[in-house]
Amino acid sequence: MFETARYEARRKIRGTLILTAGVGAYAGFIVWYFTVLEGVDYEDVFADLPPAMLEAFGIENLSTIEGFLGAQLFSFVWLLGLGLYFAYVAGGTVAGDIETGRIDLLVSLPVARSRLLVEKFAALFVPMLAVNVLGGPIIYVFVVAIGESIPASHLALTHLLSIPFFLVCGGIGLVFSVAANRATVAERGAVATVFVLYLVESVVGGADEYDWIQYLSPTQYYDPTPTLIDGSFDPIDSAILLVAFAGLILLSVAAFERRDL
Amino acid sequence: MVDDRITTADNRIDGDAPLVVDGLTKEFGSIVANDDVSFAVQEGEIFGFLGPNGAGKSTTIRLLLGLLRPTAGTARVLGADVRDEDALTAAKSRIGYLPSTLRFGEEVTGEAVLNYHGAIKGEARRAELLELFTPPIERPVREYSTGNERMLGLVQAFMHDPDLVIMDEPTSGLDPLKQERFNAFVRRERDRGTTIFFSSHVLSEVRRVCDRVGILRSGSLVELENVDTLLHRGGKHVRVHADDAALTGLTALDGIVDPERFAEGIQFVYVGDTNDLLRKLAAYDVRDVEIGEPAIEDVFAHYYGRNPELDDAHGEGGGETGAGPGSPSQDSDGGPGGV
Repeated sequence: MFETARYEARRKIRGTLILTAGVGAYAGFIVWYFTVLEGVDYEDVFADLPPAMLEAFGIENLSTIEGFLGAQLFSFVWLLGLGLYFAYVAGGTVAGDIETGRIDLLVSLPVARSRLLVEKFAALFVPMLAVNVLGGPIIYVFVVAIGESIPASHLALTHLLSIPFFLVCGGIGLVFSVAANRATVAERGAVATVFVLYLVESVVGGADEYDWIQYLSPTQYYDPTPTLIDGSFDPIDSAILLVAFAGLILLSVAAFERRDL
Repeated sequence: MVDDRITTADNRIDGDAPLVVDGLTKEFGSIVANDDVSFAVQEGEIFGFLGPNGAGKSTTIRLLLGLLRPTAGTARVLGADVRDEDALTAAKSRIGYLPSTLRFGEEVTGEAVLNYHGAIKGEARRAELLELFTPPIERPVREYSTGNERMLGLVQAFMHDPDLVIMDEPTSGLDPLKQERFNAFVRRERDRGTTIFFSSHVLSEVRRVCDRVGILRSGSLVELENVDTLLHRGGKHVRVHADDAALTGLTALDGIVDPERFAEGIQFVYVGDTNDLLRKLAAYDVRDVEIGEPAIEDVFAHYYGRNPELDDAHGEGGGETGAGPGSPSQDSDGGPGGV
């Protein structure tokens, strides 16, 4: 049972450690930078930025550590950076195997195509969980180290809520992966799609007439800064992400079962 | 030409054969890679699937494994219809497969690959096979030579003791000694009752090990015959370096097809008695002579006539490279037809 998921997960351990170390180092830098900026009047610093940009980067309450982390770490790294990363990695899930011909050996195993695909995707839980389960305590320790405090429950919740968001980004990558014959095509297509959705959501947020467009973007349903600040979140957002993820998986499986390899 | 109706009738009789291909057709857009291919492979035989590069051999094999979906017709592998994914998936635990392009994932070790495959399909014969074929399993696959990759592929193809083994160009990349070891191994496997189906574009290879041979050309099965017939038809590729008088004299010899002069010699396909050729050669001042097996393309050219349209390679990628006409060296090292 789950031999493929285990095998693929083991292959992801090295990359996961590098990713987590990188994110941890950046978190350390951001927390340190918060101490440097202490005493700066933030309202002056950001007064000239357009409202859309303030909203896009979740810039609010920058004078507290929660608000600062929300804007500088979670909005950049979790919402944008890691979202794109999981879209990219999922884009390579089977497109890379199809491109190199490794898919021949995989499909020769007595495992149904649908199962193969789902297990290969499941290996993405390794970096998805590691970056949160290891990243959260790392951030907490950094915050405590500079003499600040952050409610552990808010931090944990912010990490937990990122999982459905990452799953949807990965699901978008998976759809590209089963549709493409080359890894680079799937990876770029997935990254471009998530990035464009993010940009569109940021831009149309201000225009009432077309504000429905923002609901197409997964970034609409994960808003880390308020969760960090006061623990608030909308359960329906996570539910929407999980339903979208299920839809993307079903679509990928159906396409993968029908295609020539 | 084999009569299609007879072939089909045979397939009906052999309905429970391990491999039954029935009217299998695969089109990629306007390209017909497999055109109504029918044949059956009996239990416990070695079946050679011969054809020039680009004839559509890999397409047939990938259809049999369920990697491709047939446009028309079907095949049954160990009783499972290749269009029925569930049945085929179940049958795959008794099938071994060696693809033409072997990719395992670059950074993993051979051992990790075997552990993974073994966990899913079994590995009863793994240790025994690793004594015979010796890939350095403790090293990452990226450091493997082509030959080591092939050997790792062979171990994974046979380690779960399958009833049917399908191999696509199994010996490409193996040195002659390893090839001989492979040939002996395949015969032993056949004697244990394993059914073996493999493709090749090297005539000498199938001559040495196969019980029966199917020839695919331009997507269609053109012959289904036993090895003796093929051996008889193959002829020999001869290349002679000699003076002009000798070359002129040789050209007149019976059984010479397609003589072609080059700077200091002549090459041709010889279909007559080998002793006659040797006697004739002895009469001249010959500087050098090579006698080997002809490239399969030449066999087709002489026995079925050249058809430029049909000779256009299609159906397979450019992955295969092999001995073309005029480069028989690969086949001249001690095959049954050699001198």
